Amino acid sequence: MKGKIIFLTISMVLCFSCRNSGTKNAEFIFPEADSIPLSEAEKLSPEAIEDIAKNISSPVEIANLLQMLEVPFSQEYLAASIDANKESTNFNKAMKLGILGADLGYLNMYEKTGSSLDVLSSIRKLAEDINVGQFFDFETIKKLSQNKSNLDSLLYISIDSYEQIDNYLRSNDRGHLSSLLVIGVWIEGQYLATQVVNKFPDKILRDRIGEQKIILNDLLLLIAPYCNNSQEFTSLCKDLNLLKDKYRDVRITYTQGEPVASEKDGGLVITQTETSVVEMTDEQLKELIEFTGEIRNRLISND
Amino acid sequence: MKRYLITISLFVSFGLLLAGQETDPFVSKCVLSAGNDAKYLKDFRIQLGKATEQNDLRYKANMSLWKNTKYRFSMCSTEDSQGQLILSIKDDANKVVLSSYDKNSGKTYPFVDFVCNKSGIYQLNYDFKDGQQGSGVGIVSMVK
Repeated sequence: MKGKIIFLTISMVLCFSCRNSGTKNAEFIFPEADSIPLSEAEKLSPEAIEDIAKNISSPVEIANLLQMLEVPFSQEYLAASIDANKESTNFNKAMKLGILGADLGYLNMYEKTGSSLDVLSSIRKLAEDINVGQFFDFETIKKLSQNKSNLDSLLYISIDSYEQIDNYLRSNDRGHLSSLLVIGVWIEGQYLATQVVNKFPDKILRDRIGEQKIILNDLLLLIAPYCNNSQEFTSLCKDLNLLKDKYRDVRITYTQGEPVASEKDGGLVITQTETSVVEMTDEQLKELIEFTGEIRNRLISND
Repeated sequence: MKRYLITISLFVSFGLLLAGQETDPFVSKCVLSAGNDAKYLKDFRIQLGKATEQNDLRYKANMSLWKNTKYRFSMCSTEDSQGQLILSIKDDANKVVLSSYDKNSGKTYPFVDFVCNKSGIYQLNYDFKDGQQGSGVGIVSMVK
């Protein structure tokens, strides 16, 4: 019996010693104001840019909200027309990598993992084309998707792969591609939300679309240094500025309140009583739905 | 002997699966400890030396949090850390909206659920209790 235990212990040590045990180190401070004028964007430190990028990129939050609202899954929202083999410029490859990242988040969140294999293949191709394929753990994500195993592991590995790509691009003087990746994720999330609200008018979803005004200025900060890089960048900057104009009269106000605390299952539960209130007319929402659709469909076209 | 080989194969398969699946086993362990109802959103990996003076929490990161969402902030510290990882969150007006460490009672919570009702950009501040040295990870998840 003792021999068996030693034998098994050695086996386990051998197995687990294969795993990377490094803990990463990072520390940074973000400027206090988040509404920095665009002309100041080029003066932002790399750490501040990184923080803005990390703050925005959350490919699964909109999908989580849709699921919470019990909105049924629909394949028609996905960017099915993207053909990874036909992309010629790095602009298109990075942008579409971001768009497909959001689609992958949507598929994963709804556990439509069987349908995600095509998206995964396109992501791999695009990632390899801009030399960041090593960060996208295709085989593991595919395995987790097919097995419908732990959703949390799937989300973690998918999101972590994107974060590694983003970090690598940013630290290797390819910040322009990182910005496109982040903007692609955001545009697709915004497209998903605006398409759904068109069919399933819901106050919570409508507010979430209005609240994206908070993020839009940060997106413009990210892309501002590259607006003159090429015709593609110039056009994207113009579109995002026009979108910002459409948000101009959307108002977000706040009510005051003190947080309420309680304990549950050994943890602390804080309920915020301060609230944000979005004031947006039907006309404003309609314009946002239409213009977001225009931008996104232009970006996924294979012209 | 055959049984031993089968057992080893199972462990090797499991180990390789984990090795491929998670780039950092400590982080993935912390992700899974957030609970079955939690959906992973983001992680912050923190490594700090002992603080020379007692000031604000030292590791700072910004994150947008959205109304009508319940977030779970879980903290995990490595065994060799001198203090537990703690978190405090401030809103854009620099007002503290939550802290995982209760200074009055000295109690440290391993996770905090935050029912967000005000969308905006928040500042997450992490440190190890009493400015001690340590390594850890803060996981942000969404819960129903």
